[in-house]
Amino acid sequence: MISDFRFPIFDWKLFYVNRNYHQTLRTHIRLLILVVTVVFIELNPRLIFSQNVEVFGYFEPQLMGAKIGSDFYQLSSNKLRVDLQLKASDNVSFGANFDYITYHGKTKWDILEFLPKSVTAEASTINLFGYEMNPYILPYEDKHFLDNAFVKFSFKYADFTIGKQQLSMGTGYAWNPTDVFNKKDIIDPTYEQPGHNAFRMDLPIKSDFGITAIYAPTEDWKYTDILLKLKGRISHFDFSLLGIQKQWNYTDARIVDPIAMNFYQMNTKRHILGADFVGELLGLGVWGEYAYNKIKIDDDEKQAYVNAFAPLLALSSYLYRPMEIKQDYYELVLGLDYTFDFQTYIMCEYYRNTSAKSDYKQYNFNDWMQYLSAETKSITRDQVYLFVKHPMTDLIDIGGSYIISLSDNSSAFIPMVTYNVFENVDLSLFGNYYFGKEGTAYASNLGNGGMFRLRVYF
Amino acid sequence: MKTLMISTTIILFCLSSLWGQELNADQIIKKVNDLMNQETVYGTMKMTIVTTSGKKRTFEYESWSKDKGEKNLIRYTKPARVKGQAMLMLNNADDIWAYFPRTKRVRKLATHAKKQKMQGSDFTYEDMGSGNAFITDFTAKRLKDEKMEDYDCYKIELTRKKESSSHYSRIIMWVIKKNFVPVVLDYYDEDDPSLCLKRLVQYDIKDIDGIPTGMKIIMYNKTDNTQTSLEILTCKYNIPLKDEMFTERGLKK
Repeated sequence: MISDFRFPIFDWKLFYVNRNYHQTLRTHIRLLILVVTVVFIELNPRLIFSQNVEVFGYFEPQLMGAKIGSDFYQLSSNKLRVDLQLKASDNVSFGANFDYITYHGKTKWDILEFLPKSVTAEASTINLFGYEMNPYILPYEDKHFLDNAFVKFSFKYADFTIGKQQLSMGTGYAWNPTDVFNKKDIIDPTYEQPGHNAFRMDLPIKSDFGITAIYAPTEDWKYTDILLKLKGRISHFDFSLLGIQKQWNYTDARIVDPIAMNFYQMNTKRHILGADFVGELLGLGVWGEYAYNKIKIDDDEKQAYVNAFAPLLALSSYLYRPMEIKQDYYELVLGLDYTFDFQTYIMCEYYRNTSAKSDYKQYNFNDWMQYLSAETKSITRDQVYLFVKHPMTDLIDIGGSYIISLSDNSSAFIPMVTYNVFENVDLSLFGNYYFGKEGTAYASNLGNGGMFRLRVYF
Repeated sequence: MKTLMISTTIILFCLSSLWGQELNADQIIKKVNDLMNQETVYGTMKMTIVTTSGKKRTFEYESWSKDKGEKNLIRYTKPARVKGQAMLMLNNADDIWAYFPRTKRVRKLATHAKKQKMQGSDFTYEDMGSGNAFITDFTAKRLKDEKMEDYDCYKIELTRKKESSSHYSRIIMWVIKKNFVPVVLDYYDEDDPSLCLKRLVQYDIKDIDGIPTGMKIIMYNKTDNTQTSLEILTCKYNIPLKDEMFTERGLKK
């Protein structure tokens, strides 16, 4: 269950700060103001905007339950997403969205409770003025942020998008080796991805061919993320070739830097060569995606890491070796799907990630933490994703997915029901059941449970 | 004078024999195809689904069509739940791409997706974007003329060709004699040619830009006992549409 809920995945790297009552009150007042503003704008768009700004979005209350040992915990959230869209002229458009999320119930989760005992021995504790603190508490704190805000210039021969924007790559459904910007949630791979600050250029060459270039600046220009994609079509097949440079941070979650109050990280640069295709073969939908991922660590980065560790190595008895860095590896996805005459849709996808280990007894603490924080896409090497969906009525779909790790023989079953309750209201129910031994990718101690999600669109 | 009378008689004879000549099935289907697949079409549509439980769901979308129905683009405008979702169908819907604005992803679908219901309606993607599939995917046979929906109609049976990717084994079509509008179409199951799955009826036929157009189309699902109506809110024929619209770039706009 810990991998199910939409984690604020990078938050756990920071220490949890208790929120006081006033902060919570302020949060709710802000939420109220936002709701009133949205309603006002919806009712009186012409009063607010001189130009034709479209306001839409959704409100999404969600409740998750998880059985951990003999206890059953609940965590609920309320998400309000407000989208703004403006077409300023034929050539210029603007888009933005604002997310506001509140959390309730069990808002602090100790990650160590979910991990196998064999690896948690490597975890660190912090002793600050006599108080022992656990840096592995995952806090769900109320938050609001500008998820996307971009301007798009469209010309005859090219489109330019500048600002925080969604960047999605690849043809895979559950996994995307060529998508270096996002990690999908295996429970709901179609959930929207966060925005990324970037400059994007799309250059159509002919109706069937085009080039996409992305420049995503980082703190140090040497590590700037750059992507170049050639896209084309041959017969009924679409294909892409990609070349990517990406900054990749690896966190050593075993030990905390007491000065920076954060885990140690090593910056690496990765060069990725990728390709994907999608088409049809013998009546089946087929797709594939491949990425070869090559590491490049600058000498000064390596030295900085070693220097940072030198005094700690002497003090910390459990740190005998430096962090394991993922060397060159490849990822591969192959998938197929089919719709039967009786409207049942089936899909099967195979995923291989050679940076992940094939023997679950070798998964170490950093493997788990890097997986949970989306630094790596999987902890187990070979996986299969099976998906089935059937429309029970015009308004109700039932189905489910079954994920199997071929490497450690663990699996997860995720039944789901979606119901269009009213015109703009969707209800989704997900279950999740894990069947693996302790220490495996889908171990039963990850927490069986379910999730209820309502989404009201406006 | 005698020569003139002979000539007139010959001309009148030729004309009368021409008028009296019965069109064969292929000729009728070609006229239907020409009527349905204008060079370009733009329209705004309202689709209302009536479910088995009697609940209604309404969608509105814009649609663009070019090259006599070979290229089609559909973009939803209502309700908010699906707003911005778009479908691009090329090569008579043998190539389909779906765009999801929430994730900004474009997904190419295989031809089996043509069987899928459009937003849970009784229309499949094949029904919406099949272009000249009546000619390319089916063999036409003329049956005995019948009156249907108060119109004198040609009755045509279309049988799927072996190489076709259509998911209907056959279609029976009633075509209004005076304007070649296919007023009623019965769609038969892929595996059981005797099983009628759906009936499409065109109502309120009006001239739009000189082209007879059914302003309301209802698809009756005979197996699920549901129905979906499609109302044309606006329609324009043979307007200039750029090829760029029918690309992935156009799909995402």
